[in-house]
Amino acid sequence: MSTETLTATHTHHDEHAHHEHHEPSFIFKYVFSTDHKMISKQFLITGIIMGCLGMLMSLLFRIQLAWPDESFGFLETLLGRWAKDGKIDPNYYMALVTIHGTIMVFYVLTAGLSGTFSNLLIPLQVGARDMASPFMNMLSYWFFFLSSVVLLSSFAVETGPASSGWTVYPPLSALQKAMPGSGLGTTLWLVAIILFIVSALLGGINYIVTVLNMRTKGMSMNRLPLTIWAFLLTACLGLLSFPVLLGAGLFLIFDRSFGTSFYLSDIYLNGIGALTNSGGSPIMYQHLFWFLGHPEVYIILLPALGITSEVIATNARKPIFGYSAMVISLLSIAVLSFIVWGHHMFITGMNPFLGTVFMYVTLIIAVPSAVKTFNYLATLWKGNIRFTPAMLFAIGLVSFFISGGLTGIYLGNAALDVQLHDSYFVVAHFHLVMGSAAIFGMFSGIYHWFPKMFGRMMNNTLGSLHFWLTFASAYMVFFPMHFMGLAGVPRRYYQFSLIPEFGIWMNVNIFITVAAMLGGAAQILFLYNFFRSIFKGKPATENPWESNTIEWSTPVKHLHGNWPGAIPTVYRGPHEYSRPDRELDYFPQHEVGNGEPVHYEGPAEVQKTYATDNKESASKVFFSSFAHLFMLRKA
Amino acid sequence: MNTTTKNIFKLALVAGIIFFAASLISKSVDIHQLNIENYSAEKPLFGTDEYQYEAPKELPANDAVATRVKWSLLFFVIILIMVIANAFDISALTSRLTGKQAINSNNVNKWVMLIFMIVGLSAVAWEYSVHGKHVMLGDSASEHGVQLDSMFSITLILTTIVFVITQILLFYFSFRYSKKDGQKALYYAHNNRLEVFWTLIPAIVLTLLVLRGHQTWRSIVYADVDGTKSTNIEIFAFQFGWNARYAGDDGILGVADYKFISGKNKLGLANPAEVDSLLVELIAALIAEEAAVKALPQTIEQLQKDLQAAKDLQDNEAMSSITKELEEINNGDRMDDLEASINRKTKQIERIEAIKKDPKVFATYFTKAEEDDVITQELHLVKDKLVTFKFRSRDIIHSAWLPHFRVQMNVVPGMPTKFTFIPTKTTKEAKAENGETFDYYLYCNKICGTSHYNMKMKVVIETQEEVDAWLKTQQMAFKAMPTPVAVPAVEILPDSATSTKDTTAKKLALK
Ligand code: HEM
Ligand SMILES: [Cu+2]
Ligand SMILES: [Cu+2]
Repeated sequence: MSTETLTATHTHHDEHAHHEHHEPSFIFKYVFSTDHKMISKQFLITGIIMGCLGMLMSLLFRIQLAWPDESFGFLETLLGRWAKDGKIDPNYYMALVTIHGTIMVFYVLTAGLSGTFSNLLIPLQVGARDMASPFMNMLSYWFFFLSSVVLLSSFAVETGPASSGWTVYPPLSALQKAMPGSGLGTTLWLVAIILFIVSALLGGINYIVTVLNMRTKGMSMNRLPLTIWAFLLTACLGLLSFPVLLGAGLFLIFDRSFGTSFYLSDIYLNGIGALTNSGGSPIMYQHLFWFLGHPEVYIILLPALGITSEVIATNARKPIFGYSAMVISLLSIAVLSFIVWGHHMFITGMNPFLGTVFMYVTLIIAVPSAVKTFNYLATLWKGNIRFTPAMLFAIGLVSFFISGGLTGIYLGNAALDVQLHDSYFVVAHFHLVMGSAAIFGMFSGIYHWFPKMFGRMMNNTLGSLHFWLTFASAYMVFFPMHFMGLAGVPRRYYQFSLIPEFGIWMNVNIFITVAAMLGGAAQILFLYNFFRSIFKGKPATENPWESNTIEWSTPVKHLHGNWPGAIPTVYRGPHEYSRPDRELDYFPQHEVGNGEPVHYEGPAEVQKTYATDNKESASKVFFSSFAHLFMLRKA
Repeated sequence: MNTTTKNIFKLALVAGIIFFAASLISKSVDIHQLNIENYSAEKPLFGTDEYQYEAPKELPANDAVATRVKWSLLFFVIILIMVIANAFDISALTSRLTGKQAINSNNVNKWVMLIFMIVGLSAVAWEYSVHGKHVMLGDSASEHGVQLDSMFSITLILTTIVFVITQILLFYFSFRYSKKDGQKALYYAHNNRLEVFWTLIPAIVLTLLVLRGHQTWRSIVYADVDGTKSTNIEIFAFQFGWNARYAGDDGILGVADYKFISGKNKLGLANPAEVDSLLVELIAALIAEEAAVKALPQTIEQLQKDLQAAKDLQDNEAMSSITKELEEINNGDRMDDLEASINRKTKQIERIEAIKKDPKVFATYFTKAEEDDVITQELHLVKDKLVTFKFRSRDIIHSAWLPHFRVQMNVVPGMPTKFTFIPTKTTKEAKAENGETFDYYLYCNKICGTSHYNMKMKVVIETQEEVDAWLKTQQMAFKAMPTPVAVPAVEILPDSATSTKDTTAKKLALK
């Protein structure tokens, strides 16, 4: 409804007028496209499909957890020999959990989120005609696509897909006979991940180069939208950490197939006997894995935070509160994320002193996260909030970020982790802070930039409905899991009915499954809205959200090269909303006019205190010195 | 007229939701005549539990189903109302009634924000009060657990306060500052004092938390650094089960090695007789496998004959199994398996013999300390006595978790790990609190394969006397067994040793 009022003033001109000429052939337009906008759509649609699969898998194994002793005919119809007598096989259960985790973490929230929005927004928001290397960009998508196909193909393998958890710890994953999924399924998993890493690296290099070198006139680093900051740092994280996973994966392949002993030592396997491997350490794999694994959670989260920062500023009609503080906290999160990986390994038997070190750095990382939260809250304060679906999802993200972030304080504490490690508390924690928060960031981005991607609007009412149902069901699914974990329920258990003490949670398990089904059903609303709007949505105007960033100055109809004429010059930061010296409550970055932001430190009361105390405070100097770091002006 | 209608709508909606939620919450609690003081493990808080096998069923089955249904209904209804609030397009209705401009969906969302906050926070409060009872499974049953629990409580209180305040601010701001026509947002881009303020406050709080966490952590991991104060018990993990090994009268756990594991010697203790019989077994298997390699052509012939016979008999089952086997041989899989197995066994024999040949190494392995070791299926510990678990895994990484004792440590193949602590509550005491069916367990908490979910060991805490008495009923690893031959220290079973050499030589010659 708000869009109606927003768009009513614009007249939409006929799209079909300049449709026919200079069209590349279908295959180069839609398949092997090198246009960043098309590639971003490819990433998005693949990501959505993978997301649906990941979600359906979670529903399947949730059924098992809720009704462990009942049989469901439809499961047998669906899964065949993996669900004999309508009950999922334990090995298949583990395979579902593993592939669910892998899909969600890598395929949806790394490629689907970062791939989509980095591709769409980096050229459009920094003012470039395309990525630095459009060809590499295309390769990046096709490696990702190939990787998805390989991963999914493992469902066709006789012994089933990888089933040692998304972390695929050896020796379980290294010994082909240790469980069925560790056979061909794990080989395919490893191949898929290697292809995925290639894709992530090709994309990441491109993103970094484009942001650093291809900004338009006037787009200094301190005028970059926070989305771009987030994508830049994400790409850096990926570029520095994915190669380590590549190494870890290669060693694992060697151990599996060529008899090396990187991760193996002193093993007697039932039915086989004493293995010859000697001298390796399975803990080394964990170090390598989490050296990627922890940055990975920020690779997932930072783009979501960047997206919501822009969405919240636009829809609260306020500058994001503390732009430099937001950038500094993004930066410090990115840097710190490289030295906290050991918090996943407190109880692996590593030296307790190392545990202490990792505990300290982990709790430090909570500080910039807290700063971000407070800045979000301050941005909402005295705003003029428009509840577009994008804005609703952004608010949802902040809520999840708080809920999930706070439980990180428990898990980062080595002493508490002795009890909480690998319990359902962990499942609750990462689903809120990484799963739900990042998914909401992704939804927020989809609703916000849909008009830019497809030239049409999504339906707002359906969008709000989708939000509220998903929001409520996500909390209903994951909140009770905290209590299960705190009461000693372990994760990655196929069935709880064999242990009497877990009996009290049976009803909760049913409740969670029902809530998850509800959440799943809510996604149908989204899919309907999304795919219908691509073809039948209300035609979009150039700047439907009255936003400041320059992607909204491109024509609705996509052009190769983005802007029909010269690329606009940028005169100010991205957040000049509701300036007191202007009639309109927005001030696009490219609009000629008073370039500098008005110096305004707050409402009258705050200003008064400033007037009486106008000597530079130490803190002010401290922060402005940081701010100067970003003044690497280009123009 | 239009504003009145609007307001009535809103009020009715809010009141309805709150009333509905409240009545349902109270009802669902009522159903079980819940009395929190009377709560105990056999009386689950909501509904009986069919899955709690050992617990007596308190309610008739129908009631349990009804409970479940109502449970899910509660939240379904809340959601349904939200759906209606949105789908029932109030704005369209009012605009038709008044002929004026539609209320925009902003207002609906704004109110749902407020409602969500209220319902959500009540649900959280309800969770804390009901499920919160189970948090940390009552008081810790170990000494360090008390400190860990107090660390937990501090964190819980702090984070809950922050949670409530920030969530309220988030939803309240969203509600309060939603768009109004003709209003402009406050242009307020930054305030460095505020930034410093809310950087420093969390930093200080987190510093306090981490310092205390450090203290707690140290008290857990450095409980017995040099390993002199505590009794050692070995916890042995395998796919899919646990064993405990007690040191016996000499107080020393005998040496063990994965290379010595055999059908009888499941933990691979360095017992000379056992190791020798393992060598014999290995060599016999080796010879058989080498023969099988040589006989592969004959095997194929035989199989082909069998296949023909099966074909004549039209025995489909036999046919398919024979075809499968043939294929395995023809594509080289059988050969690969045999060769790998021969290679493994040769290596194992070589390594065992290397240990036996070097008197110094021999002495470190074969200490006789293993003779009186006791291997058990249950873990019995003495109350108030410092104990150190020495973990050893046979195959995969497992993790030993004793949630009641706040004890957890990974069990890693090839890397010894340990955990030291003092249990403080006997099983009897725990049963008195939690009901007769209660028992302590050690769970596996690191995914380790198909039956990971059922890999547990019963734990019993008793007095010293009770543990001693129980240990007497358990079999000693080797003492009780008749030792077959008195084995000389270095050259054991000369004939088997030579035959190994032969086979190894043969192998080398083959290459
Ligand atoms: C549709 C909603 C979802 C439901 C109902 C759901 C539920 C679950 C459950 C029950 C588990 C198994 C926990 C265990 O036994 O250890 C799990 C695992 C996992 N989920 Fe989800 N999940 C959902 C969405 C997501 C999302 C959005 C993410 C993205 C980060 C995600 C990431 C993971 C990961 C990484 C694992 C761990 C897999 C492993 O143990 O190897 N899930 N999920
Ligand atoms: Cu981490
Ligand atoms: Cu295990």
